[in-house]
Amino acid sequence: MKKREERLILGKGQYADDLAFFNMAHLVFVGSPHAHARIVSIDTKKALALPGVITVITGKEVAAHTRPLPVQANFTSKGWTWRLADVYAIPADKVRWHGEPVAAVVAEDEETARRAADLVEVAYEALPLAGDLRTALSPGAPKVYDDWEDNKQVHLVFDFGDPEKAFAMADQVLQVTNREGRVTGVPIEPRGCVGLYDTKNDTLEMWGSFQTPFLSRHNIAATLGVPEAKVKINAVDIGGAFGLKIHAWKENVVALASKLSGRPVKWMEPHRDFMATGPHQRDVFWDGTIAFKNDGTLLGLKATVFHDLGVESTNKGIAALSIFPACSSPTNMYKWVGMHVEGIGTVTNKSFYCAYRGYGKDKGIKFIEAAINQVAKKLHMTPEAIRMKNFIQPDEFPYHQINNYVLDSGDYPAVLNKAMEMADLDFFRKRKKELAGQGRYLGIGLVTAIEPAGVAVPNCQMGGITEARVLITPDGSVEVHSDRTEIGQGAEISHATIVADILGMDMAHIHVKRVTSDFIGQGPLSSRGAVYPASAVAKAAKLLRKKVVQCAGSLMKIPADQVVLEKGYIYPVNAPEKKISYAQFADKMFFFPGPRGLDPEILKAHDHLLDVTTTWYSPTTPESGSSYTSFCVSADIAVVEVDIDTGVTQIVKYVHVHDAGTIINAQVVDGQIQGGIVQGIGEALYEGLNYDENGQLMNTSFSNYLIPTSVEAPDIEIAHLETPSPFSETGSKGMGEAPIIGSKAVILDAIEDALSDFGIRVNDAPATPEKVRKWIRQASGQNQ
Amino acid sequence: MQTIDITLTVNDQQQTLPVKSNDTLLEVIRDYLDLTGSKEGCGEGVCGSCTVLLDGHPVRACLTLALEADGCAVTTVEGLADEDTLSPLQQSFIDHGAVQCGFCTPGMLISAKALLDENPSPDRQKLRQALSGNICRCTGYAKIVDAVAHAARPESGCPDCHTKDSGGDHD
Repeated sequence: MKKREERLILGKGQYADDLAFFNMAHLVFVGSPHAHARIVSIDTKKALALPGVITVITGKEVAAHTRPLPVQANFTSKGWTWRLADVYAIPADKVRWHGEPVAAVVAEDEETARRAADLVEVAYEALPLAGDLRTALSPGAPKVYDDWEDNKQVHLVFDFGDPEKAFAMADQVLQVTNREGRVTGVPIEPRGCVGLYDTKNDTLEMWGSFQTPFLSRHNIAATLGVPEAKVKINAVDIGGAFGLKIHAWKENVVALASKLSGRPVKWMEPHRDFMATGPHQRDVFWDGTIAFKNDGTLLGLKATVFHDLGVESTNKGIAALSIFPACSSPTNMYKWVGMHVEGIGTVTNKSFYCAYRGYGKDKGIKFIEAAINQVAKKLHMTPEAIRMKNFIQPDEFPYHQINNYVLDSGDYPAVLNKAMEMADLDFFRKRKKELAGQGRYLGIGLVTAIEPAGVAVPNCQMGGITEARVLITPDGSVEVHSDRTEIGQGAEISHATIVADILGMDMAHIHVKRVTSDFIGQGPLSSRGAVYPASAVAKAAKLLRKKVVQCAGSLMKIPADQVVLEKGYIYPVNAPEKKISYAQFADKMFFFPGPRGLDPEILKAHDHLLDVTTTWYSPTTPESGSSYTSFCVSADIAVVEVDIDTGVTQIVKYVHVHDAGTIINAQVVDGQIQGGIVQGIGEALYEGLNYDENGQLMNTSFSNYLIPTSVEAPDIEIAHLETPSPFSETGSKGMGEAPIIGSKAVILDAIEDALSDFGIRVNDAPATPEKVRKWIRQASGQNQ
Repeated sequence: MQTIDITLTVNDQQQTLPVKSNDTLLEVIRDYLDLTGSKEGCGEGVCGSCTVLLDGHPVRACLTLALEADGCAVTTVEGLADEDTLSPLQQSFIDHGAVQCGFCTPGMLISAKALLDENPSPDRQKLRQALSGNICRCTGYAKIVDAVAHAARPESGCPDCHTKDSGGDHD
């Protein structure tokens, strides 16, 4: 196999924008300039008159030819508030956020489509805004969905363990609030695809940046009213995803445009559209009270987390559901008596909420870590001491957490101890005191986290479905199929490593195939790649190995347990010189099994084909209801220096110790860690989507939505521990999200420590230089 | 729209091309010459995915008009390897695991090449500065910085590789 990376580094990648089809037309969306307005009329005459324009699709055509987007998560049955809305890919009646598409222009080339988009005349009647959470929840607020009672889409209430008992046992309680600003994952490649509706066969095929082709097929087929069996979705090279390419929404309009025009239709989303009409995340406010004993024993939590969803979030995106893990995750890695957590999701006139690395699991952990550090301060304990006191211990696994998570394995104290050793905490604590006298402000942050990974939740499209197929072809090469798209997280190399190892083959003969909707599965999301798809692939490879060994035994006239598979060869354990290559073996199995053929028993059992398709499901979820299977562990320690005149935070040292179970590929794991940490630093220091009072998104460019560059990204010191998960097939744990959780929390904690002289609570991310200066001004004013 | 002929030497091959006055260099490279290695990320000159060398200097091809490039030599990612034999810089990216989603990689390679052509042994800080116009969302930059540092000083093994315990195979 030519390594994927070699292909990409030669400039031979084929991403969505590199796709070209004969007779291909181009689609451009027309976005609303208003955040909330009734659509009075749309005049497409001028646009249609432009030479080269093929058609213009408005909400009317979408309503006539498609169905509402299917609901992706529905918890109405639980007795919670969970409101749904009929939403079409393009609305016909009113727009609900700045940039929402009101029409799509299809033309011979992209430039003509853009010019025509400017000629589409839309008359709007502006409506009052529910522009932020506070306004949207206030009595009499403008309603985003007219037929809803109010703007609350979701209200979940959880009691874990015995919260009342926890508070009754407490020596003290402490109120803690925390806010995270609105952000987006913004991969460098926006979304894009080509749709080809074959009117002769009534089939639809699409190619593009699909993170979850099987889910996209379901949603696109349902919207178009075409049987899923007649739709195929192909993932091509994907320029980053991070959860933001899970949904299918504008893609439906591309498919419709192809159906109506009879042409292949390409759509590449401009970067600024991706920012304005793409998935957003975070934007939460926590208000909670934590109960504890004077010796630092943590007992309980009562908290409410308010989410600003933007427009409704069960069909464009699937992130109303992320309120669930947001409420569950504050238990983190500690022992508790009880928690009462409520999660509220409010719709506002902003772009929609969807997955981004973390998906709610991050929110509870960041909140509780901040809260625990407040408790430590109150009790004059160090942050490490309070954690060591409350950690679940290595001999307590599997540990049934109060929220039903079954924590699989780990050595939490060892991870923290290693991080403290690497960070040289004592030195920096001393240094902080020395510098304090010189008007310099050093801060040390310390955060620990587990990452719930490998999701399976009923009542939504993330139920845990997965399928893998491993087969040996007649020439002895191996195909690996699964639902795990390669989004830059090392899916291909990880699968190839697992299969090569189990079959005793060289990696060069393992071909991990592009993911299409032919393979069932919810794809790589919620760090499930190393849990579900990797387990399914490992299981398929093990079953295939069994077949190989059995058939080779038959061919070699030896018992199966004497067959050795090694380095691409198969041989009897006692006669290595009789080795045959996989190519020779496969040729015999498929075409020339002579002189006397395979053992008739193998043939009678229909067990001769070197092809295994299987599935895998968590061993803990069915009984416990644990919505995650593996829980990797991390400890982050950061040392920062804050310049109180400029408000700028400089990262002096960054240490990350990690235990994600068995490591399949160390480079891949390190890449996930380094990338995730830098994304978290971006969220902690710079990233924020800001809407003005008219509901206009102010930052739709990398020039004003700032993400870290190579200059801001620190050198990161990493160490790994490896405690295998007993629950995954390979012992590895999902780990793609842990780094973004710990890094954001630890940087904010370090800034708070740096500003300890001012008594500032850093609980409003991002901690931009402007905000830091404001906090210092306010604190200084109060102190005078 | 009227076209004007321009002459470009792209990856050592001289070509005369009819271009429109509003065509960008990126459009000409990608759409006319079918060299799709250079990527359009933001399309407004910030992300750096479209970076190419114009007479040896890195430019944003998405903001450069094709007409401005008339008579110039252009190097794109496709011009770095000798057929399929990777340049040492490209090989170092592979060895260090510096390619994740791969979308920023072509622009990143071009900026790194421009740096090393001008300053064959930059220190880590200079190197980070030189790459700061190329945004990567996957890697956190560590492996990219390691890869370029190693390409600059291959004889010294991997002294600049920051992630000592990455265990990545360097063969």
